[in-house]
Amino acid sequence: MMHLTDEEMIGQIYGESENTAAVEQHLAACRACAQSFAELRRDLAALDRAQGPARDERYGERVWASIAPSLAAYGQERPRWWSAGWSTNPWLKGLGYALACALLVSCAFYAGRLWERKPQPLAHVEPKPPQVKQPIVVVVLDDHLDRSERFLVELKHADLDSAALDSPMRDEARSLLAANRVCRKNAAQADDPELTTALDHLDSLLAEAANEPGGLNAQNVAKLQDEMNADGVLFEVRVLRSRIAHRKGTAGDAAKGGTI
Amino acid sequence: MIGMDRNDHAAIQAVLAGDKEAYGTLVVRHSHTLFRVAYRITGNEADADDVVQEAFLRGYRKLEGFESRANFGTWIYRIAVHCALDKVRRRRGNETSRVGEANDPEQDQMQVADEAAGPDRILLSGEIGAMQQAALHSLTPTERTAFVLRHMEDRTTAEIGAALGIDPNAAKQAVFRAVQKLRRRLAVLRVAT
Repeated sequence: MMHLTDEEMIGQIYGESENTAAVEQHLAACRACAQSFAELRRDLAALDRAQGPARDERYGERVWASIAPSLAAYGQERPRWWSAGWSTNPWLKGLGYALACALLVSCAFYAGRLWERKPQPLAHVEPKPPQVKQPIVVVVLDDHLDRSERFLVELKHADLDSAALDSPMRDEARSLLAANRVCRKNAAQADDPELTTALDHLDSLLAEAANEPGGLNAQNVAKLQDEMNADGVLFEVRVLRSRIAHRKGTAGDAAKGGTI
Repeated sequence: MIGMDRNDHAAIQAVLAGDKEAYGTLVVRHSHTLFRVAYRITGNEADADDVVQEAFLRGYRKLEGFESRANFGTWIYRIAVHCALDKVRRRRGNETSRVGEANDPEQDQMQVADEAAGPDRILLSGEIGAMQQAALHSLTPTERTAFVLRHMEDRTTAEIGAALGIDPNAAKQAVFRAVQKLRRRLAVLRVAT
């Protein structure tokens, strides 16, 4: 026989048993449960002695007297200057809405200004890697070296008997000289001694070609050819072009997310 | 009771219409009931008085939200139970120097000092009530309130759940745990008597 649990007995005493008839039937048949039930009932009955102190008939009046001063009557709160007639006067109501809208727009505008001026968080300030700017410089330098190489090749193989060379070569030499000085300045700023030295050699050769007194006649061209061969300017330009081509390749990789 | 409800509703309407004094009739009518339950939960007269005042103050401020179909007595009673429970919880947080039973598995609950007196002394000095109060103090605030509402106030578990803001089954379990703890605690009285 299954005995009653304490929970079932407590439920029975408080009249909240889920099956009162079955519990009563069990208590009638099971002496152990009947004894436990009687003890539980007696224990709980003993707790009924815990009565609170009495309060006299005027207790309620004293409570009311103590709280009444702190209560404001409903609907009779003292009207405030800014709220008087607020809900009843349509003009005031409209004015209120207009003011609220104006305030909202002003706040939004001001917030927008602040937002624009707000410095970007450090997390978003990614310093531009040098390779981002590098391709532009590289392309300009490469173009200059390409033109210079063609000029030097043309100068090397120039027909000393042809007078047709003079004007176009001098023009090209002058053009290259201006570009070479820009490139040389950039190379000096970039602290690239190899490039700076090569461009220095090229500069002196181009300066002579551009400013040779008497133009690029056969004698002057022969002299420039000798200087070019002696300094190895053409070789230097070709080496530089090769180096630039390599750097262009790595810069392209970097732009695609590769590493240098 | 129906007449009282009608009177309560009339008083509430008057209060909401601006007659503050009408609330005084509600206070006078329900103060004793609130004091009784407040005292049973807090176990302290001064605390019970505070609870009664606080409950009526809260009731007044929330009176606009009171549903006209509801019973004001039940409504203000629940507010008082909440206030009393809050009071017990706050007091419990402040109390110190508690002695727990070494074999009590629920050491986290508040326990008052057990001035263990012998059965003869208990009978002679009439300290049974004090021991019962001590036993009630040993319960958690929720258990104590649930037990008081069930055992002393004859509230159903559904009403207890509503008053405490918990599920009726949780209220039933709280009552069950409270009875078990009280019986263990007051076993000495069984021997004495």
